[in-house]
Amino acid sequence: MIKFLFKGILRDRSRSLLPIIIVSIGVMLTIILSTFIKGILGDAIDMSANFMTGHVKVMTKAYAENNKQMPNDLCLLDVSKLKNELRQKYPKIDWAERIHFAGLLDVPDNNGETKAQGPTVGQAIDFLSSDSKEPERMNIQKSIVSGLMPAKNGDALLSDAFAKKLGLDIGNDFTLFSSTANGSMAFQNFTLAGTVSFGNSGLDKGSVLIDIVDAQRMLDMQDAAGELLGFFKDGQYHDESAETITKAFNTSYHNEGDEFSPIMFRLKEQNNLGSLLDQSKYMSFIMMSIFIFAMSIVLWNTGLLGGLRRYAEFGVRLALGEEKKHIFGTILIEALMIGIIGSGVGTCLGLAISLYLQEYGIDFSNELKNSSMMLPSVHRAKITSEAYYIGFIPGIIAIVLGNALSGIGIFKRQTAQLFKELEV
Amino acid sequence: MKEAIIKSKNLTKKFPVGNGYFTALEDINLEIGKGEFLGLVGPSGSGKTTLLNIFGSLDVPSEGEATVMDKNVSQLSHGESAELRNKHIGFIFQSYNLLPVYTVYENVEFALLLQDKSTSERKKAVMDALEWVGLTDKVKSKPAQLSGGQSQRVAIARAMVKKPDILLADEPTANLDSENSHHILQTMVELNKELDTTFIFSTHDEKVMKYLRRMVHLKDGKIDKDQLITSL
Repeated sequence: MIKFLFKGILRDRSRSLLPIIIVSIGVMLTIILSTFIKGILGDAIDMSANFMTGHVKVMTKAYAENNKQMPNDLCLLDVSKLKNELRQKYPKIDWAERIHFAGLLDVPDNNGETKAQGPTVGQAIDFLSSDSKEPERMNIQKSIVSGLMPAKNGDALLSDAFAKKLGLDIGNDFTLFSSTANGSMAFQNFTLAGTVSFGNSGLDKGSVLIDIVDAQRMLDMQDAAGELLGFFKDGQYHDESAETITKAFNTSYHNEGDEFSPIMFRLKEQNNLGSLLDQSKYMSFIMMSIFIFAMSIVLWNTGLLGGLRRYAEFGVRLALGEEKKHIFGTILIEALMIGIIGSGVGTCLGLAISLYLQEYGIDFSNELKNSSMMLPSVHRAKITSEAYYIGFIPGIIAIVLGNALSGIGIFKRQTAQLFKELEV
Repeated sequence: MKEAIIKSKNLTKKFPVGNGYFTALEDINLEIGKGEFLGLVGPSGSGKTTLLNIFGSLDVPSEGEATVMDKNVSQLSHGESAELRNKHIGFIFQSYNLLPVYTVYENVEFALLLQDKSTSERKKAVMDALEWVGLTDKVKSKPAQLSGGQSQRVAIARAMVKKPDILLADEPTANLDSENSHHILQTMVELNKELDTTFIFSTHDEKVMKYLRRMVHLKDGKIDKDQLITSL
């Protein structure tokens, strides 16, 4: 019977083509939107984690309360010791010190007089250790527009737009002015090793990247860091593990009465990323519900029209001794077949477009020009294993639901009217 | 007459019309034996199709009773009615009603799919049925490629493939010309003889009447005359 029904679907295009097209379009849109939203939110979370929050982050309590001001006078001390302890306690996590600072960047002319200057926001990471994963984590190699990665102390990277604005070329020297952790004035010369563009307007506006050792020396922060970031070694954020680690750390290390005692936060607790993570989780569900509802209504109507057209066929089948509930069952089986075909087609189309969006993305840099959000300016889709099956859920549910609603009419049909109905 | 496979006793059928009822059939007492070739004859509105519906377990009497294959149609559930039609009754319609997207073979096979027969059993039965009606060369044709006469012969094969005890035909020649009507009726007569199937026609077509061996004349819902015709 299944084979018989399948032949009917393939041959009767008016029965199958429109529903397959509707299901395909719905499934395709579901997948595109799902992968695109997943991509945007995933990128935003990854970018925030890699640049700002880590998967977990340790700061002093006072630094945490004022961290937007980058208060290096409230930094963590004895970081090497703390880092070693954490490495032993939590071997699945890599730890990295970071120092954020603000200052003034001054570009001298040949006579040592100021040629150009501008305010800058700096970040110091471990560029030079052989086992450092920081450059890779921040995707610095791929973000370099010109020049090279810092190879020695005193090398620095500038955002490409900022370097152009200041008229700085690779190999040029410049001076960074800032304030030390003790509150006195700090200045140090650096050489421009390369320029970078992270594809994020906030990071690309006026930032400078230097090695952590240079920053510790310049800011009087020997064996100190503003933040100690922890990253799960597999690169994925695991909220449950992060919560367990955070609770354990804070129980052992944090002292509520000591504002310089370290305190750990997990990613979800920082920069409203918790709601972003929750949103990404529910977004697919919300989209599927919308598509199931919309497609069901369309397919219900398609089913009603198809049912009217097949009235004679159902009549003959009743006369041949088929039960109404069996006919209703075959309508659902047909819907299932059409749903599977349509979902398959829609999934292929959706994945193809998602793949394109994953590779090339859509450039929103103009729209995000003045945004300080941790969002990449080129938004890309992200194809996960979920994308291969997620479209089948709305595709199949919608058509089975639509056909079930339209097929109810079979039960209302008066069998006794059969001969009259069939005398066309 | 051989054993009766259809019996009606004081059968009356009324349909609600406005505040009252329209009596379509009144006090019908009839016994139809196995292998009969019988026609329900009468003008439009005489109750032929209503009686055919009841004998086909598509409808139930308002009063009295109708027994088909020893089953009282009034007491059958939907499922039991469907089973009765599936196993014992074949239908032929005035406008053939073949399924347009399926081939001749598949149209005939469909009746057997409902009986869960194996592929080999189905194939043999379908080819036999198509041979009875002389359409073995059309197995792969679609209904749209057939003439009216050929379509009706496919409909006969579909009705006969499961070798039913009873075949109900509602005006089977109404859309056919004389020559095709003759061929169709000749085929039915042969099948009646070969398979001992009871044929019941609803007709007012003179061409059909010539082939009937028994004519039950209906007039205003009542049996006007029950006529046995011995010379065919």
